[in-house]
Parts: sequence; structure tokens; C-alpha cells
Amino acid sequence: MSTAHLIAVGSSPLGKTDLPGRDLFSKALAEAFEELPDPADVVDGLYVGAQSERYENQIMQGTLMAEWAGLRNVPAERVEACAAAGALALKNAVRDVRAGVHDAVLACGVEKMTAGGTEGATNALGAAFERALEQRSGITAPATYALLARRYLHETDATERDLAKIAVKNHRNAADNPRAMFQQAVDIETAMDAPDVAPPLKLYDCAPVTDGAAAVVVANDEVAAELQRRSDAVRVAGIGSAANNLAVAERDLTFVEGANVAASTAYEDAGVDAADVDVAEVHDAFTVCEALLAEAAEFAPKGRGIETVEDPEDRSAGWTDVRINTSGGLKARGHPIGATGLLQAVEAYEQLTGRAGERQVADADTALLINEGGVADAHTVATVLTATDGGA
Amino acid sequence: MTDTDSTTTGPLGPDDITADSPFTLPGFFDALAEGRLVAARCTECDTQMLPPRPACYGCGSRAVTLSEQPRTGEVISYTSVNRPPSAFEHLAPITVAVVELDSSARLTGRVEASLEDVAIGDRVELRIDDPETVDIDPDFDLSYEEEWPAHVFELL
Ligand SMILES: [Zn+2]
Repeated sequence: MSTAHLIAVGSSPLGKTDLPGRDLFSKALAEAFEELPDPADVVDGLYVGAQSERYENQIMQGTLMAEWAGLRNVPAERVEACAAAGALALKNAVRDVRAGVHDAVLACGVEKMTAGGTEGATNALGAAFERALEQRSGITAPATYALLARRYLHETDATERDLAKIAVKNHRNAADNPRAMFQQAVDIETAMDAPDVAPPLKLYDCAPVTDGAAAVVVANDEVAAELQRRSDAVRVAGIGSAANNLAVAERDLTFVEGANVAASTAYEDAGVDAADVDVAEVHDAFTVCEALLAEAAEFAPKGRGIETVEDPEDRSAGWTDVRINTSGGLKARGHPIGATGLLQAVEAYEQLTGRAGERQVADADTALLINEGGVADAHTVATVLTATDGGA
Repeated sequence: MTDTDSTTTGPLGPDDITADSPFTLPGFFDALAEGRLVAARCTECDTQMLPPRPACYGCGSRAVTLSEQPRTGEVISYTSVNRPPSAFEHLAPITVAVVELDSSARLTGRVEASLEDVAIGDRVELRIDDPETVDIDPDFDLSYEEEWPAHVFELL
């Protein structure tokens, strides 16, 4: 089996932009290939994560993005699992490189969520929920996550203020991230006084509707050695994915089991434990997810995931010293659905190669990514990345 | 909760999967329109699944049978949809809940009560409405969904 490496990353501006999806992809591609030969001389295939064709009335995104990258007569596929699409693209690229099917593959993701306004985004995202009983009850993404949050607050000592603190922490992190959609801090009172979206979730508990794209080049040992300085490559040490039930009603509302399976698989594949992870990007589509995922990834004891906001020395016994969502997370970096899993990889790449600037976590050499789709963990991909040179 | 008469126990054969059988959505909603909420029950591990399906998510077994459900249960979690999808705008704000029926089957549904009147643990009863009563934008329905009834919970 070949080793898979991330040798270059790129992202588009994140937020409401005047660029359609394909042009956002062009931006991400241009950054990723700034110091590389033409994509056609580097990669032998492409996967693109895209949540919905409803935004731009365009399927065949694999073919389109391949064309825009100058790739022809190579496999180029769209993959879809709602917000987990980006990490699925990464997973497929890693699998192909590890298996020796291709020497290098482009994993990318793109979403033009603002194309149909808030209503368009609500309706497009609604297609991710179970149709027969849940969609037909009028639910939305915030409402389904509010069902998780309400139960979490019921079963644990956590409060709405604890959830708001997660948003405050992620905004503070994003203030130091030049890629982030919201590069400003917010205070706890602003978050607590914000309007209800789906109680107990308020505006600042919810990731924004975002346009954006990201691209990551996955390569085997030979291509990585030829194109990159060793300190600039990151190794994909482990990867795992798992589906849970589609209907939120048929899942454990306070234990994201699919995410736990995906993370455990990725740890085992990488030969690491949760305690080895220095930085993690986890899928905080809604604040409660960050707490649930800290528990599912075995960073935190059950019911204490909200301490993700605390410095390691101030956390309860049983917590690791991982730093979570240094990018600002989905909440503040932005959440262009199909690109999110790859934006997580971009942050980990920067942390593991010492390029994270003000956000840099000292000695970061192992990262975990958790990217979920559907309501929470209807589908989850977890990825362990390690620094090639032993740490930033 | 009782296993229905003339019950099929899986693995289902191709001939068992017809639009008359509650193992399919048309059959499930036909039964619901007649006042019967039918789940699949796993004969290996007793997991109850709504709507019915050919295999058990709990243990993987295809030895499933049909099981008529009680109409009463309790609220496991709840919220309010303040900005629903466009087809449901006229119902906003919509109180929704995850309800565990007395059989242990779980489903999501609207609750006919305002948010502040609902709490975890509240007892509720399922009501089945004609699609016309709910007045969902007809553009929302797929061609095969037009006659399907809508379910809603009432506080007890
Ligand atoms: Zn079973």
C-alpha cells in the first residue's frame, strides 16, 4: 500500500461572493497549484464534493471541475453525503492513492449556497432529511440540531450559555484566520441576546450559509517527493467513515455513534489514540455538535464536551489537551457545505506545516478531522493527518 | 402493540414488496390513512422501525415482521421551527418533537401546541390528518405523495 500525502491546498474566499461555483473552484485550484505544474501533469483523477444541484441547477460537477482544471479523459466524480461530501472526496482520493490506482488525485469541494437566497438554502438542505416522516413534518437543519441540543441540555449539566461559549471561542479563533468568513470576535452577551432560530439554538449557535470552494492535492510517496519539500507535505495516517440512521428520531440524540465509529476506525488505521491528537477540526455546524464530537472522538468524558472552550489545564479529568477548531470552525470560518471537509484539511495542513500564523499550536504533529453530513452523523468521515517532519 | 394479521416474516421475497404492503411507503401510508400506524419489528432484537423496512438497523437481520403501533408516547426532545421550508410557511412557528411511542418506536412529528407548553417527558397522542387539512403547498408533494395523510401529535 502506498502512503497518501497532502502536498498542496487551496481555498476560495468564503462568504457571500459574486462568483459562481465553478469560479470559486478556480480560485481554490489556483492557490493549490501556485507552485506546482499544470494539474494535468500532476493528478490522474478528481473527486468533487457537492451537496446539492439545486443551488446552481448543475449536476455533472466532476466533469465540469475536471474541465476547468484542464483534466480530460480521467475519472472525475461528484460524491455526496450532504455536508460530509468534502471529506468523502478526500477519502476516495486517499483510497485511490493508497491502492495504487492513481499516483495523485485532486480532492475538491464546492458549494454556491447563496444562489437561491435563504429560502433556496433551506429547501436544498431540507433534502438531506428523511423524507416520509421528517421532511413532511416541516423540519429544517437548525430544528433537527435543536432536537439534539435540547436533549443534551436535559441529560447533562450544560447550559445555553455553555453552547454560546463555543461560538465565542470559534469567532475568536477565526479572527486570526485570513481564510475565515467572520474574522471578528463576538462577546458572550451578543451571542446570548441573539434571536432564537430553533430553541435552544440561537443565531450564533448556527453556522452561516456560505459560498466557497477548497482543493487538496493527494499524492503518493514518489509524486510527493518530486513536487514538495518534505516539511511541506502532510501524511494521511488514517481514515474511516460510517453511516448512521437517516432519521434523527431513530438515533441516540446525545451520542453521535457514527462519528465515534469513524474516529475509532481512523485512529486504528493511523495507530494513534485520541490522546495523541494535538489539533482537531470537528463539524460544528451547530454549537452542540462541537461538544458531541469532542465526546465521540474520545477527547472528552461523556457530558463534558462543552469544555472544548477551556484551555487544557482548566478542563475536567479525562479530557485530552487537544485544541479544537483553531480555524474558527464551521461557525466562523464558514460552511460552504460540499467544501467544508476540505477546508478542515486546509487548516490541519497549515497547523502541521507551521503555517497557521497567529493560530499556530506549538508542536502540532497530529490532527483529526471529523466531517459529518445529514443531521449530525447520518454520514461521517474522520481523518488523521500527521506532520511528515515530526512537527511544526 | 401487536403483530398484524397475515403477517409476513422476512427475509422478504420480491413478491412481498408491493404497494399494498406496509413494507413499502404506499402501503404504510394507506394503513395510516385507515388509522393504523404500522412499524417493522425485528424478530431477532425487537427493534421497531418507522416507516417499515426490509432489514433491521439494530442487528442487520432481515427477519422483520409488521407490528401495529400504539398511538401514545412521550416527548424525548422538541423545538420550534421558526423559519420552516417554504411549503410549511403558513404553519410557522411549528413545534416539532421526537416522540417515543409506548412500543419504543421513535418518530419525529409536529406537535399541536406552542413551544412553551411542551416539555421533555410530556405524554402525547398521534393524530392522523387528511392532507387537505394540513394545507401544505401542493408543489411540495411528489406525485405519489398527494394522497398521503399527515401525522401530528396532541398533548394528553
Ligand atoms: Zn434486529
